[in-house]
Amino acid sequence: MMKLLQTMLNKARPSFHDNGKLRGLKPVFDATENFFFAPESNTRAAPHIRDPLDIKRFMSMVIIALMPSVAAAFYFFGPRLLAMIAVSYAAGGAVETLFAVVRKEEINEGFLVTGLIFPLILPPALPLWMVAVGVAFGVLVGKELFGGTGRNLFNPALVGRCFLALGYPSMMAGNWISPGSGPLGRLVQYVDASSVDAISSATPLGAAKQGVMTPVPDLLWGSVSGSPGETCAIAIIAGGLFLVITRVINWRTVAGILGSFALLGAVLRHVDPSTFAPVGWQLLAGGLLFGAFFMATDPVTSPVTNGGKWAYAVVIGVATLLIRALTGYVEGVMFAILLANIAAPAFDEVAVHFRLRRLQHER
Amino acid sequence: MKLTGGYNIRIAGRPSSTVEVLPEPERLALPLWSRRFNFTELCVAEGDSVTPGQALAIDPENFSVPLLAPRAGTVRLDIAERHVVLEGVAKAREKRYDPRKDLPHAPRELGKGAENRQRLLSLGAWQFFEDAHTGALPDPFGTPRAVIVSTMRLEPFHARGSVQLGKRLANFTRGLEHLQSLLEYQPIYLALPDVDSDLASKLTGTLRGYAWVKIVQVPLRYPFDNVKLLARHLGLKAGDGDPVWALNVDGALAVDRALTLSRACTVRVVSLGGSAVSEPLHVKASTGYPLRELLDGRLTCDRVRMLDGGGLAGETIGPEQLGLDAECSGLTVLPEQAGRELLGFMRPGSDRSSYSRCFLSSLFAPASERHTTGLRGERRPCVSCGYCEEVCPAGIMPHLTHKLLYQDELEEAERTRIDLCVACGLCSYVCPSKIDLCKEMLEGRERIREELHAEEVA
Repeated sequence: MMKLLQTMLNKARPSFHDNGKLRGLKPVFDATENFFFAPESNTRAAPHIRDPLDIKRFMSMVIIALMPSVAAAFYFFGPRLLAMIAVSYAAGGAVETLFAVVRKEEINEGFLVTGLIFPLILPPALPLWMVAVGVAFGVLVGKELFGGTGRNLFNPALVGRCFLALGYPSMMAGNWISPGSGPLGRLVQYVDASSVDAISSATPLGAAKQGVMTPVPDLLWGSVSGSPGETCAIAIIAGGLFLVITRVINWRTVAGILGSFALLGAVLRHVDPSTFAPVGWQLLAGGLLFGAFFMATDPVTSPVTNGGKWAYAVVIGVATLLIRALTGYVEGVMFAILLANIAAPAFDEVAVHFRLRRLQHER
Repeated sequence: MKLTGGYNIRIAGRPSSTVEVLPEPERLALPLWSRRFNFTELCVAEGDSVTPGQALAIDPENFSVPLLAPRAGTVRLDIAERHVVLEGVAKAREKRYDPRKDLPHAPRELGKGAENRQRLLSLGAWQFFEDAHTGALPDPFGTPRAVIVSTMRLEPFHARGSVQLGKRLANFTRGLEHLQSLLEYQPIYLALPDVDSDLASKLTGTLRGYAWVKIVQVPLRYPFDNVKLLARHLGLKAGDGDPVWALNVDGALAVDRALTLSRACTVRVVSLGGSAVSEPLHVKASTGYPLRELLDGRLTCDRVRMLDGGGLAGETIGPEQLGLDAECSGLTVLPEQAGRELLGFMRPGSDRSSYSRCFLSSLFAPASERHTTGLRGERRPCVSCGYCEEVCPAGIMPHLTHKLLYQDELEEAERTRIDLCVACGLCSYVCPSKIDLCKEMLEGRERIREELHAEEVA
């Protein structure tokens, strides 16, 4: 099997390299080859040894951490989710590949995370073409126009979602599916916008604005309406803790967001209980947990300094709470993270300034 | 400065404490260069017979530090390029050191201190000293601000202080006494690991009465043995007047040998480790010991990379080098990566040891890994994961410097204080994007010196 694969790759290589017919598609070939076989490049100079961790593994950890959420979403919202994931990967992958080919650079693995996160934060009955448009916009404008992975200012998945939310507000506000139940859930039920009986109107946060509070156990278990990835709090926390423990994401960001959210929420709840829902309930409802663990922690778009991380996290926590309670929007996580993304370089700038000032006298 | 960052890489092939005495070779090949030195001025001619301890060549740029003949033999200069080869090697009685005859250039009336310093230089003990801040050979007749004696070598792998010391604790303390006699009132800092070990308790017990020896306890984490870091840790800032001398256990033993016995220091305990070595250990070898004979039958594979020093900061030994150089304290041999792994990044990784906890092995007790020279991934843009900053022992931000250097912002890069970098290599080691951070920092430092401070240098 391994030999066969290697032979096939070796056979195909000449057409992609140097003067081969398909040399324009070299990034595609390289990505395929390096996906299957670890690259054979060696270190040139000191240090002569390297850590086994590479970006592929790094990104794979995020995908593994998302698996509980994907499984929960699959159970509650049915196989349509898989179609959304497939469309998202295809459309986003096309943009990523196109840019890699034009720029003659490698295809970056970061897209594998964006492509999976994106369908998890959309209304589950959204038309598939909108999934494609959204992810393509997110990858194109959110990432590639900034220069590709590592240089983007905004989280690409959120840029895509923001684009859809502003461009198609009614579609993004509706299209919710009531979650499946029983031993099979909706595992064998393809539910989309045409199945009228499954369409539900309100997510827990939306319902709360009408004064209907979803019980906390439902929020934990995930049997509520909402974006497929954000409903099951247990799955998100499990995946998120996995990432914290493996050091793929930084605990400071998560602690800062949830901490500031809870602290300010508790204070405001005390001041004005009619506007602000109970803190514990708010933490579990909506996309806060998913955003805190999987989106705000994107290393590229969050600050790199520890001080910057705390400030960034507090902005997200506070902004989410205030947008939810005081504006017409039902959910505020997306805007809060995008807002903090803008501020991230500034936070870093300030933290670096102080850091360098301290270093100035070191000799 | 507090010691922060650092990381112990768990690489297979840690040399055992065994010290093997190597068989006498028939021929020695002494390279005319080493890490710091370039022995360009030959003192012998083709066909000369030399006695042990005789200078074969000197480095005129470095206070005429000599390359000494470890054994008697006949000089051959035409066998190998940039090597002095000694043939018909035999152990012979060393010529007694005579300052009047051996120091033609020295002033006639040398004080006792200056004579001892000249003796250190001529007998090959001075080359164990370095300037803690620059790493260069200090002026043997200069005055230091302080002396740091480190008993640790934490990079994988160098000869460990405890092994070099062996049963020669008395020689070591006598070396420290000699060292003190060279100084006036300056302190000697002795860096010891902060763990309870036999050696540490013996040393502290012996040195309790020595008021001029200050014991510094250092965590056993790479690269806290680095003297540039230790100097900063002790508040001995660079450019604050006199230099800080630094030496290791082997240096203190060499001082003792030169000043107590007046004998040349040409034989050292050298570590032989790394994942390509079948039985990693320490060997007692002289300068010029043929590398081929040294490694004969000790390697587990054919395609290897041999390093003078450790796997992180060591330098590749090319095929042109035939014998052990004058400064080597450890040989690390790594297998060159061979073959490609199917779906490597998806494997659970119970056999890998990583700084992150992304592999199954992090659930078990720390295990060592058989590292190769593989880059283990593809070069990718920086994702700002922050690992490099976490491990950096110098307290700087390699990722920031990397970005500034990439944008050609030399002045800004200088403000990030790359000059504090100790070239430990940990940033490059942990980087998941496989960016050569350490190399970039060193090159950046060089560029800053050339482009921003050209006038000051000139």
